Amino acid sequence: GDKLLLKTPVAFGTHLPALGSPIKWVSEQLQVMSDGDIKMKIYEPGKLVSPQEILDAVSSGKVNSGYSTAGYWQGKLPAAALFSAVPFGPEAGEYMAWMYYGNGLNLYQEMYDNGGYNVKVIPCAIISPETSGWFSKPIEKPEDLQGLNMRFFGLGASVMEKLGVGTVQMPGGEIFGALEKGAIDATEFSQPAIDQRLGLHKIVKYNYFPGWHQQATVFELLVNKDTWKEMSESKQAIVENTCKASMTNAIAEGEAMQFPVMEQAKQNGVEIRYWNQTMLDTFKTKWDEVVEEKTAADPFFKKVWDDMSTFRQGYDLWEANAFLPRVQKD
Amino acid sequence: MDINEILVIAMFLTFIALLFTGIPVAWVLGGTGVLFAGIGYLADLHLDTITGLDYTTLGLVVNRLWKIMDNWILVALPMFIFMGIMLDKSGVAERLMQSMQELFGRVRGGLAVTVTAIGIILAASTGIIGASVVLLAVMSLSTMTKQGYSMPLALGTIASAGTLGILIPPSIMLVIMADQLGLSVGDLFMGAVMPGLMLGAMYIIYILITGWLKPGAAPAPEDAKPVTPAAFLNVMKAVLPTLLLIFVVLGSIFAGIATPTEASGVGAFGATLLAMYNRKFSFRVLKEVMSGTMNTTAYIFAIFIGATCFALVLRELGGDELIESFLTGLPFGPYGIIFFILGVIFLLGFFLDWIEITLIILPLLAPVISALGLDIDGYGVVDNPELVWFVMLVAMALQTSFLTPPVGFALFYLKGVCPPDVKLTDIYKGVIPFILLQLLALLVLIFLPQLVLWLPANAYG
Amino acid sequence: MTEQEKLPPVPLADGIDRLINRIGLGVAWVYVLLVLVIILQVVLRKGFAHGLIALEELQWHLYAVGVMFGLSYAQVTNSHVRVDLFYTRFSTTTKRVIEVLGILLLVMPFLVITFLHSLDFVADSWRINEHSSAPSGLPWRWLIKSSIPLTLALLGLAMISRLIRELTLLARGE
Ligand code: NA
Ligand code: NA
Repeated sequence: GDKLLLKTPVAFGTHLPALGSPIKWVSEQLQVMSDGDIKMKIYEPGKLVSPQEILDAVSSGKVNSGYSTAGYWQGKLPAAALFSAVPFGPEAGEYMAWMYYGNGLNLYQEMYDNGGYNVKVIPCAIISPETSGWFSKPIEKPEDLQGLNMRFFGLGASVMEKLGVGTVQMPGGEIFGALEKGAIDATEFSQPAIDQRLGLHKIVKYNYFPGWHQQATVFELLVNKDTWKEMSESKQAIVENTCKASMTNAIAEGEAMQFPVMEQAKQNGVEIRYWNQTMLDTFKTKWDEVVEEKTAADPFFKKVWDDMSTFRQGYDLWEANAFLPRVQKD
Repeated sequence: MDINEILVIAMFLTFIALLFTGIPVAWVLGGTGVLFAGIGYLADLHLDTITGLDYTTLGLVVNRLWKIMDNWILVALPMFIFMGIMLDKSGVAERLMQSMQELFGRVRGGLAVTVTAIGIILAASTGIIGASVVLLAVMSLSTMTKQGYSMPLALGTIASAGTLGILIPPSIMLVIMADQLGLSVGDLFMGAVMPGLMLGAMYIIYILITGWLKPGAAPAPEDAKPVTPAAFLNVMKAVLPTLLLIFVVLGSIFAGIATPTEASGVGAFGATLLAMYNRKFSFRVLKEVMSGTMNTTAYIFAIFIGATCFALVLRELGGDELIESFLTGLPFGPYGIIFFILGVIFLLGFFLDWIEITLIILPLLAPVISALGLDIDGYGVVDNPELVWFVMLVAMALQTSFLTPPVGFALFYLKGVCPPDVKLTDIYKGVIPFILLQLLALLVLIFLPQLVLWLPANAYG
Repeated sequence: MTEQEKLPPVPLADGIDRLINRIGLGVAWVYVLLVLVIILQVVLRKGFAHGLIALEELQWHLYAVGVMFGLSYAQVTNSHVRVDLFYTRFSTTTKRVIEVLGILLLVMPFLVITFLHSLDFVADSWRINEHSSAPSGLPWRWLIKSSIPLTLALLGLAMISRLIRELTLLARGE
């Protein structure tokens, strides 16, 4: 058939496991499954265009696809963060249930359409919880956060702001330098195995869990809509199903690789801490305030939030009965 | 050779050829980019290449331009430039010159040593090459001539001392390199301290040895007075405020108290206070500094903008892959490849200057170096130690590009302020020993990476 | 650090250049402002342990404005770096012809394409009322983005002025 070249700038270096590795896997699989008819050429972050410019570049057709996470667009589309990661939100299983068998995916596409972006969105990886941050000192009470400058991603940033933290968003590659030079005092980035690659443990020693702000994170493949419409049904199916397979692949990889790294981190003198109940309650209270503000400020945010909440309320009946309790922390 | 390779090579050759027309470098870069985007588009239509270049793709230049604007690391650049020009106007350098001369009065070659020492101080306070060269020349050339220095030695000393600022931090070149390669500005600044000082020391030793072997080339002044405590005090009074400023700016970066951006702002502010302290500050001076900052920043960024277009198109034509596969395919082994790369940069430095090399060539080389698998010990603290070390080798090699004819900016600045009877060939002759010294320093760095890495590795407690 | 060689007078071109020169000198104050904003941020951060994200963003906003408006200013002050190895030896007429060809064949295509794309870029930002991606960052991102087409247009104007000057002088045989 016709050959298709997907030029794909990515928001995460493909050397980063779980964040960047899934899209590399996707590009390899696309080639095999399409008998070479689909070729995806990956451009590492910034080589062609920087992570924050991917949406614009794909929508305007400057490139025909891109790999990122919707949370990067929250300055452009306030609701975008809900399709990326939700504080106190669903875990991977529930998130996928809402996306694929609830209204999630339709709303996701609707957001880009309403925003005037000419893109087709395909969820293309999902990862398990992240850590909720690296600090240079223990954080025992909300006041300990006061006055910190912190790199914080997505909606969780608004929660931190309410606790007196100044938050910035910066791509992974810039974090180490900023932390080292004191431009920021603390940071969250991703899962232990990924944070380790950034060398955060060299500067700050207190690593906090659980990742209340990101229980699961979805990554997206954006395809320019004109390109998408010109693709045959078979090619569209190959791309969509490869991405669906990538969801499985990414979460399996992510679940498998954390514990050895955490063990290693402990030996390097990293203090692995679990938020005390006061802190978790505080984060939750502030998150509720943030939701109230965001739903009031943006009708589409409200629409997505309401839909997701309705789905989750229904799911609660199942969740409360179906699963064993988590293993107690010792 | 396939078509992509031909296009990449043609693009480079076109760029170099157009440079020599004298059209500003920035526009040659941007224009060549657009031209080859058009050629790539036609090649896709008629020659079965898949560059994907067209009018729409070129729109990426705007996204890339925006990322140059939206960049907190680069904010330090105009601030260091502001600081440099303000110091230039503040009159501190002149005072330094007068008083230090008395200190070295009776040593053969003492005046040339003074020039180098001041070059080091200027370098550590900002490192605006043009300003340093002009300043040193205006202050010392006629005195050296009167004292009977050989013309080439005098000119070589001024040009090389004035160029030290690009290596000794703070250095706008290192800020840009850090940005291009995603390295820490602090690591690069600290990595450059010892190589920079070593180079300065090598100049001084060379001058002293020359004075000793050939008294006629670097005489002591006939009316030299013995060094008195009063003269010493004078030097201290002149040096202290500047040293304090250097200490505050560099010290706060090294100690992790301030980001380079903050330090640059504090430095600009401090230089302004220094100018006020010396009663050289006025509204007119401020306007000159602002205008100078505007101009210098703009011409550097114009090259940035042109280069981003050039690099985008080069990448789409397959330039990255070509250069990477060419270099890694060389049958030399890791050190052989590094020698080869540095040799090429040294040669390119005859024609191009540091901005183009840093913006276009350096990013292409980084993956090659990372792939060499060199095991350089950064004591676990320096991220990417082999890249930091390599960048310093490149920085040292680029240092020579200011001095190598035909296109050497230090030479041009110097020629601009010399009396008309000084010929360009005198300048060329004068800088040769200093270029050799730089190559020697480069060799030392290649075999002693710890000269670069020790400081960044040990600076953090 | 660059010599601003004085170009022979040509009324219309002189007028344009004066305008751009005045704009450039006015905008140059952003650098003084930048020094002050940095000092303020340092004092807040070090003195009161409370840096402001908005101030940090303001820093690169100011820098970006300075850089972009500087492009046309450096053009009318003739400060853009040239490799003048052969250039200095060319006759005046040759220089003028090179300048005209350079502007028409290299500069203008680059400028026009970038300018047109930048209009879309700003329009997109305006359409969605783009805000900083940091919650307490600066709003109205389209405003700072608007400086791209604006300053590229100014640069284009400066190029046209140069074109008028060179062509007039060529016609006059100067
Ligand atoms: Na310097
Ligand atoms: Na040179």
